[in-house]
Amino acid sequence: MNLILIPIILPIVSALALLLISERTRWLKELLAIAASIVSLLAAANLFLLPAQTLSYAWLGGGISFTLSTDTLSAFLLLAVSLFSAAISIYSFSSPNKGSAKWFFFNLLMTQAFAAGAALSDNMVAMLFFWEGLLVFLYTFIALSQETKAAKRTAMKAFLINAVTDLCLLTGVVITGYIAGTYSMSEISHNKLTLDYGWSVFAYVLLLIGAVSKAGAFPFHTWIPDAATDSSAPFMAYVPAAIDKLLGIYFLARASVYLFTLNGTMQLVLMTLGAVTILVAVMMAFVQKDYKRLLSYHAVSQTGYMILGIGTLNPIGIAGGLFHMINHATYKSCLFMTAGSVERQAGTGDLSKLGGLFRAMPITGLCFLIAAAAISGIAPLNGFFSKELIYKGTLDTGYTWFFIAAELGSFLTLASFLKLGHSVYFGKRPEGLKDTKEAPFSMLLPMMAFAGICVAFGFGARLPVQWFISPSLEALNLQHGLLFGFHADKLYFVSVIVILAAVLNHMLGLAAGGGKADKASDHIHYAPVLKETYALAERRVFDIYELAMDKVVPPVSYALFKADRFFDWAIDTVPSGVTGLLSGASSRFHNGSYPLYMALTLAGAAVYILLVGGFK
Amino acid sequence: MDLPIQMLVTAVAVPVFGAFLIPIAARVSVPVRNAFAVLLGLFTFFAAASLLKLVIGGQTATWTLAFPRGFDLILHADMLSVFMASVSAFVSAIILIYSLDYISHYENQTEYYAMVVLFLGSMMGLVFSANLLWMYVFWEMTGFASWRLVGFFRSDKDVAKANKTILVTVFGALCMLVGIIMVYFDHGTLDLRSLHGSAISMVAAGFILVGILSKSATLPFSTWLPDAGVAPSTVTSLLHAAVLVKIGVYAYARIFGVTFAAPEAFSSAVLYIAGASALVSAGAALIDTDIKRIIAYSTVSQIAFIFLGLASGNKTAFAGALLYILMHSIAKGGLFLCAGIIEQNTHTKDINKMGGLFSSMPVTGAAFALCSLSVMGIPPFGGFFSKFLVFSGAAQNGSLPVLLMFLVGAVMTLLYLVRLFYKIFLGEPAGHSSPKEGSVTMVASVMALALIGLALGALIYYPSAYAELLTNNLGVNLQ
Repeated sequence: MNLILIPIILPIVSALALLLISERTRWLKELLAIAASIVSLLAAANLFLLPAQTLSYAWLGGGISFTLSTDTLSAFLLLAVSLFSAAISIYSFSSPNKGSAKWFFFNLLMTQAFAAGAALSDNMVAMLFFWEGLLVFLYTFIALSQETKAAKRTAMKAFLINAVTDLCLLTGVVITGYIAGTYSMSEISHNKLTLDYGWSVFAYVLLLIGAVSKAGAFPFHTWIPDAATDSSAPFMAYVPAAIDKLLGIYFLARASVYLFTLNGTMQLVLMTLGAVTILVAVMMAFVQKDYKRLLSYHAVSQTGYMILGIGTLNPIGIAGGLFHMINHATYKSCLFMTAGSVERQAGTGDLSKLGGLFRAMPITGLCFLIAAAAISGIAPLNGFFSKELIYKGTLDTGYTWFFIAAELGSFLTLASFLKLGHSVYFGKRPEGLKDTKEAPFSMLLPMMAFAGICVAFGFGARLPVQWFISPSLEALNLQHGLLFGFHADKLYFVSVIVILAAVLNHMLGLAAGGGKADKASDHIHYAPVLKETYALAERRVFDIYELAMDKVVPPVSYALFKADRFFDWAIDTVPSGVTGLLSGASSRFHNGSYPLYMALTLAGAAVYILLVGGFK
Repeated sequence: MDLPIQMLVTAVAVPVFGAFLIPIAARVSVPVRNAFAVLLGLFTFFAAASLLKLVIGGQTATWTLAFPRGFDLILHADMLSVFMASVSAFVSAIILIYSLDYISHYENQTEYYAMVVLFLGSMMGLVFSANLLWMYVFWEMTGFASWRLVGFFRSDKDVAKANKTILVTVFGALCMLVGIIMVYFDHGTLDLRSLHGSAISMVAAGFILVGILSKSATLPFSTWLPDAGVAPSTVTSLLHAAVLVKIGVYAYARIFGVTFAAPEAFSSAVLYIAGASALVSAGAALIDTDIKRIIAYSTVSQIAFIFLGLASGNKTAFAGALLYILMHSIAKGGLFLCAGIIEQNTHTKDINKMGGLFSSMPVTGAAFALCSLSVMGIPPFGGFFSKFLVFSGAAQNGSLPVLLMFLVGAVMTLLYLVRLFYKIFLGEPAGHSSPKEGSVTMVASVMALALIGLALGALIYYPSAYAELLTNNLGVNLQ
């Protein structure tokens, strides 16, 4: 079998095999899943090192073939997908609260296979096939992770939001394919589409909706915080934190610079979308009181940086966006894993019930510190470098406002991680947590690996940029200059100022909150105007899904239902009405009056003669 | 006679005449009658499917019975007719097998079997007829059979629904007859083979379209289908939703897809009618609370997608529409059979009285979910490909309003199916005593249909190659 098929077929086969294994076996399911994901990872690494190859089968006819290709960007993405799958399957080995182990690993492997397929597909139809196929497993992943009704509801919400935007993507793909005359992305890239006429703008916007919604950007993000409370930590670390971001940003980059040549307006749209996502989500994240829910809003907010980076449309910004994509997946996965192990060991994710756990769980705490510093953009960790690239790209476009918005986002990010870290790992340990111990090794291993990557990609930012990001830019046909290196320039000093401001804010919040770390955001939470806005947001007034379900779908469907009833009424009454009218009219003439019959006959004869003879 | 021609003739003659022997078989014993009916169904399916090899090889088979004035009975097996015959005979055969258990609780079983088989035979005759007049004759025969089947229960309400069904469809059929007569006077023949590629006048096309829309339950003649689905048993509503409504679609493909070159304005009018039909019925499916009515509305809405593919005027869309017929028949069949199990075990059709059934009926629930996914067009199910191709063709057609209408229609499809699944299987249990799972044969048949939907997605190369070949060989005026 061709090597390129292994990352797709092996997980599917293993997932199906899992279903045959009894739920009662102890280690078999876990080991099979781990083995399958590690072998896929090795295959992916092998593919990454080999020169680009292509595999093509006849498929739907009409020029639609099933084409997989490992150009450097796709191979990089495949490697990332496989890495996260392997890490999460190891992490989940002894993680509780993931629902039925059999179905958890089934969903994990299926998600891995379909994500790998989407990453490798050169043909947009094949990509759509894998991309949309993820929907099923997204639903089952969430729905089966907990027994609660809320899990089913959130699963439905996630499914519907993604299904609708996937339909937009489908429509975008068919229009793009029609305009370009081919569905092959590499062929389109030789002759890129422009946004000069309506159809291509429409097509790009639909592709954009599909991509940013998968990445979890505003306003399609609302299922992610809900999933944080209603599903498991491994799921959060895997799908919303890693796989969805990877695929969404990957295709956003493909669509924005590989398939289409964008204009200034669209650049502004993208950058605005990025900035709004950063600010809205980080404002929400800052005031959260639950470990996973707080992280989930950051998962949304960080997407904004990637979109902002790609939206700059210059190589530095795009490199930053892609670099941030992989960095974010690393530290956010790591953070969700720390959340999972704290939940497992301490039994809760509620910030007000946690505290002082650093002593009890030093490795988890250390991993948290590294990942939290990375997401906050503290030098010299990986998040710092990718954010620097994005800032630089943003400043190069001349729109300083977006730069300021992004820095404001950084400030709030750091502020909320100060609050989170302080309330979970430092301060006073509650009575109930006196006996808390460190998480098992299988959970620590992937956590440490990711924390290690955060450090390695920071100190040695040269390596990932050289190995992954530069080749990816080349795959997108972008020319670029030097992308790495640490400069103590203005940007660096701005970041230092942001750090100081965040620390200051935290101390202010502590003072205002009576020294309780979990209340360190209250001075902003309950500030005038913001207080009301937050209250509305908590009631999901700004949630696009709830809005549509409450305010749009019922009246529209009711109106359509009424239209249906109208047609039903017309079908039922019009024929009998017409018949009644005709028979009533004719029966009135049949009244037995001889002169009337004679008059009608004569009149009829006259009309006949006129018709036949008179008018000719 | 060659073997293919024999097969062609028997595929029509055996069920049509066999239907009249069912009452005689019933005299012998009930098992004999049941076995005889199922055998007739299976035989018809195998006879139709045996012609697949012939038509894939690029050949056709024709059998003619001469009548004066060009009214010959011509049975013609080409790629389109064999495809349609195989799909509908397959679903009908499954219905017959499923009926063995399902219908055994009711009266008038002999009439039921006779009418289903007669329906199947007339359907075969209609599909294979290459003469418009004979198409009309078989068309009315299917209408008669469906009238008896909808009125299977004899209460006033059921009879009223049955009368509505036949009055609406016969009204349409008579309009179509007017159109056929106009074609006869314009061209002097009703032989579809010699009419291939000729033009048709707008008025005649309009009259024929009224017949097609009324049979396929499309706006403004759509509401007989949900009504017909309520009164009788699920099995007959399945027969209507998965097979009978495809007659109109088939006639459209046959008359305007592979015979006449339809006027441009006519095709775009059909697109708008179909778009409105997709939206209106999807809206109704979101409001209604009767499980079978919702699925019937869903059929109306999905039929519109088939019309979208047929009327878009390009090869991609046409091939997509053919695949849509296949995928929809399988998936909708599965949904109706699931609804049958649910209705029989919960003794209600109101989805508000269900809820939480997944824990007690997991296999039915899983099959229902899989079939729903196929109807929604989610990969890796077969429905994805048909939806994709139809959309792709609509994009090529280049009409933005039509594309948007169907995009909204597809979104609403998601909504009403998710709502239906959620209300039945998840949600709060509403005062029922956790009904049991269906019998093994019933559950196996729904699971089989669900898995066929999955297999069609995995092996999409074969059906799509067939549809593409068909489109290339037979399509008229397609880009």
